[in-house]
Amino acid sequence: MASPSLIPSGDFRTSYAVDTTIFPTTTSRNFAILGIILTCFAPLVFSEYWLAILIQIGIFGIAALGLNILVGFTGQISIGHAAFFLLGAFTSAYISNKTPIPVFFAIPLAGLVTAMVGLIFGLPAARLKGLYLVIATLAAQYILLDFFSRAEWFSGGSVPAMANPFSIFGYVLRGDRQYFYVVLAYVVVSYLLVTNLMRSRDGRALVAVRDHYLSAEIMGINLTKYRTLSFGLAAFFAGIAGALYAHYQLVVSNEGFGIERSILFLAMVIIGGTGSIMGTLMGTAFVVLLPESMEWISAELKGSAIDRALQLNNNLTFLREIAIGLIIIAFLVFEPDGLAHRWRQIKTYWKLYPFSH
Amino acid sequence: MTMKSLLTSASIALLIAGASASAQAQIAVGHLADYSGGTSDVGTPYGQGVVDTYAWINKNGGIGGKQVNLDSNDYGYQVPRAIALYKKWSGADKVAAIMGWGTADTEALTGFLAQDKIPDISGSYSAALTDPTGAGGKAKPAPYNFFYGPSYSDALRAELTWAAEDWKSKGKSGKPKYVHMGANHPYPNAPKAAGEALAAELGFEVLPPLVFALAPGDYSAQCLSLKSAGANYAYLGNTAASNISVMKACKAAGVDVQFMSNVWGMDENAAKAAGDAADGVIFPLRTAVSWGGNAPGMKTVQEISKISDPSGKIYRPVHYIAAVCTSLYMKEALDWAAKNGGATGENVAKGFYQKKDWVPAGMEGVCNPSTWTDKDHRPTTKVDLYRSKVTGATDGDLNDLMAKGTIKLEKVKTVELPRKPEWHGW
Repeated sequence: MASPSLIPSGDFRTSYAVDTTIFPTTTSRNFAILGIILTCFAPLVFSEYWLAILIQIGIFGIAALGLNILVGFTGQISIGHAAFFLLGAFTSAYISNKTPIPVFFAIPLAGLVTAMVGLIFGLPAARLKGLYLVIATLAAQYILLDFFSRAEWFSGGSVPAMANPFSIFGYVLRGDRQYFYVVLAYVVVSYLLVTNLMRSRDGRALVAVRDHYLSAEIMGINLTKYRTLSFGLAAFFAGIAGALYAHYQLVVSNEGFGIERSILFLAMVIIGGTGSIMGTLMGTAFVVLLPESMEWISAELKGSAIDRALQLNNNLTFLREIAIGLIIIAFLVFEPDGLAHRWRQIKTYWKLYPFSH
Repeated sequence: MTMKSLLTSASIALLIAGASASAQAQIAVGHLADYSGGTSDVGTPYGQGVVDTYAWINKNGGIGGKQVNLDSNDYGYQVPRAIALYKKWSGADKVAAIMGWGTADTEALTGFLAQDKIPDISGSYSAALTDPTGAGGKAKPAPYNFFYGPSYSDALRAELTWAAEDWKSKGKSGKPKYVHMGANHPYPNAPKAAGEALAAELGFEVLPPLVFALAPGDYSAQCLSLKSAGANYAYLGNTAASNISVMKACKAAGVDVQFMSNVWGMDENAAKAAGDAADGVIFPLRTAVSWGGNAPGMKTVQEISKISDPSGKIYRPVHYIAAVCTSLYMKEALDWAAKNGGATGENVAKGFYQKKDWVPAGMEGVCNPSTWTDKDHRPTTKVDLYRSKVTGATDGDLNDLMAKGTIKLEKVKTVELPRKPEWHGW
């Protein structure tokens, strides 16, 4: 298995700087920069529909990145991630509505507030492992959702809360074409931050906790601190993503962020590849595009001969949900290491082509 | 035929079908339907009614010679999905109007609709949507929101008026006890404050509200609370399937309470499913008659129904007929707009203000006369209260059950509520 921790023969690293570099070659760095620059032109080229999908990938990608720190790098688990996402959304809407703080600052503030709450819900992780931890994080999901549906002063109770559009110093950004850049900026910053974190002392400590917690403890790593910290970090990115979502939709409702959304976040991480930063983005793109592509197929089928023969009609919606489930299962069976692994294999194949053996 | 030629002909057929559909589409209308979410039990017949009516409109010449392109979407009763669809409808492929659905999503869209000037005739009859200027001070201005029928609050006010008389006519003494039941969700909550305020005014003792989910489930606990609190009149704020669960559980627990339901809380299918547990429930009817009723307009409804049921054998519940009325009001508003400067959202909204005591053409005796003005979007304050009567077992075909009178919708009272300014917007 081509895991990044296994260094192939002939690949010598003679200084710490080379060992911790983000981009192994100049070409890969240039490609990354070029990619970002090209993405900047997306609003000029793409239709609103595709722009909306890109924005969704960006927003959910940040949340999934947070979860990957927790699941992929620290080896913990959480099925309450959607609740933190929603907490960030409500907090940012609340801050920008009730205080004179502009949205520009409300988004990072919402991230910090969510991180604080995440630290509290992360406390059980200091003592619990495995299935027990799953149940503890499930509690976070239900406690927070119940809070949102009752706390009228904060979330508006059952009535959806309104959020202000994104503004910087009096200039208001309207529409997807302008908001795209806000999301892009946050995606780039978040992914750089986490990549940096993972090559730092704290990042390596997280990985050590995942790989063998007992050895990590013997080496002097404070398990409680790093387990709780990873919950805080995960919640921080969920909060940031939620806040971005709030000011994108302009309406925050506690619908659609139940446990099934938390599971979807987990699916993004698993499909993308646990412990892979770029894989997270690929997994998110996959999970966001999957229902959309099912939508295209069912739209094509609607009214066609197949539809009439099998009397699908309104059941097409249900068929879509079933197909999504099946594809995810197939993915886990045939691609257990995630899209990131497949991507590396494709790269290796072309690097050595045509003499791969 | 070889596989290849089969594929080729199939793809050509698809192409032609696609091309002809897009070439004719000229007036775009967005349609939010709930076929899979919390209100799918009533959302399905209503959504079908909307789809059938627009297909029928297109078959009969469309609007001002133009075909309507109804963009029908199942949004699963989820606000985020409704918002996402709305972004599409207000952006590149802008629609002339929206056939909306739920309270949560319609109220969330209100501000955007006003900003983008897109009229939305919703399946939500929340009173918060009735004040176009916001002058009443009870609700935010909602200049582009419309619906057909009495508002949830007015329907509940009528039911409470009936309940107060019912209590007296039964010669009971003391204060009757009233309780509001429903999910903690904008839709069941919409008439809560209005109902509790009027109940207190009419001399009811108002009990703390009871919560039960929008989905069917086991609500024995709620029934035991009803029993121990000694409630006499209970309002069911959810949709039919969920309300049935309560009625059945209460029947089993032997709770003696008069249920009054929301307009979406009862229909013929629900009465069939609930059996004798549904016997005696009071509910408002939006149309003057139900399926097969004796009215000149029923012929049009039956013709529309044949679009999706050529055999004409399916029994259409009250929500289907309400959907036909709602769609035809929108159609005539679009007609007016097409003749007066084009079918833009602004003109369509003006189209709603053109007539007094308005009944769409061909729907005489089915749709109740409605009036919208630029100051007041309450189409009517007249509420027809019906009682569902179930005598005997309810298995078998709904057509037969209705024909034999095993299930009957019996008119109880028509309450003509005054248009009080202090009742506007809540």
